[in-house]
Amino acid sequence: MTKATDIPFAQDSSTFFICWISMLMVFLSVLTLAFALITHTSVENWHKNISGSMTVQIPTFTADGKERGDLVQTDIDAALGILLSTDGVIDAQILSESQMDSLMAPWMGENASTAELPLPKLIDVKINTDQLPDLEQIKADFAEQVPLAVLDSHRLSLAELVTLAQNLTRLTGLILLLMLTSMAFSVIFVTKSGLKVHRQVIALIHMMGAGDFYITRQFANRSGGLALSGGLIGFVLSLPVMTFIAYYLGNLTGGFIIQATLSARQWLLLFTVPLIATLLAYLTAAYTVFSELKRSL
Amino acid sequence: MFEKNKLSSPIAEFNGVSFRYGNGGDVLKDIQLTLQPGSFHFMTGESGAGKTSLLGLLYMNHLPTRGRVRLFGKAVDTLSRAEKSQIRRQIGVVFQDYRLLNHLNAFDNVALPLRIAGVKETEIKRHVSELLTWVGLEKQIRAFPPELSGGEKQRIAIARAVINRPQLLLADEPTGNVDDAMAKRLLYLFLELNKLGTTIVIATHNQNLIKHFKFPQLHLSHGHLEYIATPATRSGNTTEDN
Ligand SMILES: Nc1ncnc2c1ncn2[C@@H]1O[C@H](COP(=O)(O)OP(=O)(O)O)[C@@H](O)[C@H]1O
Ligand SMILES: [Mg+2]
Repeated sequence: MTKATDIPFAQDSSTFFICWISMLMVFLSVLTLAFALITHTSVENWHKNISGSMTVQIPTFTADGKERGDLVQTDIDAALGILLSTDGVIDAQILSESQMDSLMAPWMGENASTAELPLPKLIDVKINTDQLPDLEQIKADFAEQVPLAVLDSHRLSLAELVTLAQNLTRLTGLILLLMLTSMAFSVIFVTKSGLKVHRQVIALIHMMGAGDFYITRQFANRSGGLALSGGLIGFVLSLPVMTFIAYYLGNLTGGFIIQATLSARQWLLLFTVPLIATLLAYLTAAYTVFSELKRSL
Repeated sequence: MFEKNKLSSPIAEFNGVSFRYGNGGDVLKDIQLTLQPGSFHFMTGESGAGKTSLLGLLYMNHLPTRGRVRLFGKAVDTLSRAEKSQIRRQIGVVFQDYRLLNHLNAFDNVALPLRIAGVKETEIKRHVSELLTWVGLEKQIRAFPPELSGGEKQRIAIARAVINRPQLLLADEPTGNVDDAMAKRLLYLFLELNKLGTTIVIATHNQNLIKHFKFPQLHLSHGHLEYIATPATRSGNTTEDN
C-alpha cells in the first residue's frame, strides 16, 4: 500500500487526467522528436553528398555533327558571365585540356588526349552550400543567352531537399512546444479544480500550521508522480510504433535516403521527454498552488 | 520548546474585540481577555452564546470585526502568512465536529501535526502509538474515522491536538461524546500538558468536570464575557445543562 497523502487525492479522479494527458503528450512528442532526429541524421548524410560544386556543359558540336567553332568560346564567356554574377557562386572556371584528360583517364588510358574527341567543354562551378544560388534564375538566363548550355545540378536538388528537411525540423520544434503548452494548461486546470475540491482539507491543515510550501509540495508531488507514470507508459507505447515506422521507411527507401536508426545519444534525448513532462507537471502544479494560496486568506 | 521571554508575556490578549459573521449581528461584544501562560480555563455559556466563535478568534480562524487580538505578543492583523503558520503550529485545537480526515487512519490523523512540523517518522511512530494507547485506542490505530464511534473519534481529535505539545490548547466541547470516567481521564491528559506549560481553554457543558476540577471560567452570555474565578459559587446560576 502506498502511503496516504494528507490531501485525499485518491478520491478525486480528475487528477488522473494528468496521467492520461502525460501519456498522450509523451507518446506523440517522442514520435515527433524521433521523426525529427531521423530527418536530422539523414540530412547530415545528404549534406556530405553535396560536393559544393556543379558543372555546366557547353557542347562543341551541333546536334547534327557540325563543329561549332568560335561559337563555343562565345557560349563559354556568356555562361561564365551569368554564373559569376550570381549570388552563391564562389567561382566558375573552364576545365583545361589536361584537367579533362585526367578526368577521362579511367576510360581512355593515362596518355590519351581528349582534344580529338567530340566532348563538350566543362565549366566547374564552386558554390556556397550554406547559401545556394538560385538555380531557376540561372536556367532562365541560360535559356535566353546560352540555350545549348546544360546545367548539371542533381546534387543541388539534394541541397534543396536539405533545406526542406531543415524547415521540417523547425516545425517539429513548434509542435513539441505546442504539446508542452497544452500539457501545462491541463495541469493548471486540474490543479485549480483540485484546490477547490480539497479546500476544506487544505483549510484544516493550514489551521494546523502547514505553510504554503507544505501544501504546494503535496500537489506538486501528486502532479509530477502522475505525469511520470503516464509519461513512462506513453514512452513505452511509442517504441513499437517507432520500430514499425523505421522498418517501413527502411523498406521504402532501401536505407538510401532515410537512415532510420538512432544513436545512443538520440535515444537518451528521447528518454528525456517523459522526464521533461514530469518536471513540467511538477513545476506547473507548484506554481499554480503557490500563487492561488497567496491569493487566499 | 518554551522560550522564557514568551512565557512572561500573555499568550493571548483581546482588546475591545467584537465579532460578527458577515452582515449578521455581533456574536461577541467588546471582549476584554488575557490568557496568561500556563493558565487553565473552562469556557461556559449556553449553546449559541459564542464559545466556538471566541475559540475561532484564538486560533485565527477568523479576524475580529472590531478591536485587536494579540497572540504570543503579536497583533494577528499584522502577521505575514509565514508568521501565521508558525504561530498556528503552537496551537492545538480540538474541534467540536472533530474534523478528522476520513481517508487517513487513526495513526495518520494523529501524526498530521508532527508531519507538518517536519518531525522524523521514527519519532512520529513512537509518540503517536504511545498517545493513542493513552487515550485507549491502541486497537483502533489502523481504523479509519468512518468505522469509529463518536467517542473514539473525539479521542483521536484530542490526541491530534495535543501530540505536538502545543503552547496553547483550545478544545471545543471535547468530552461531549464520552462517559464521565473517560471525560475525567481526558481532562487529566490536558492537566498533564498544562503542567508542562501549555495554556488551556476548554469549552464545556459538563458540570461534573467544572465542579471536579475547579478551574476558573470564561462565561459567555449574549456575546458578553464574564470571568468567574471560583466556579463552585456560580454553579447554580449557569444554565448549560444540555
Ligand atoms: N459560520 C457562521 N455563520 C453565521 N453565523 C454563525 C456561524 N457560526 C455560528 N454562528 C452564529 O453565531 C452565534 C454563536 O455561535 P457559536 O459561536 O457556535 O456558539 P456556541 O459555540 O457557544 O454554541 C450563534 O447565534 C450562531 O448561530
Ligand atoms: Mg460551539
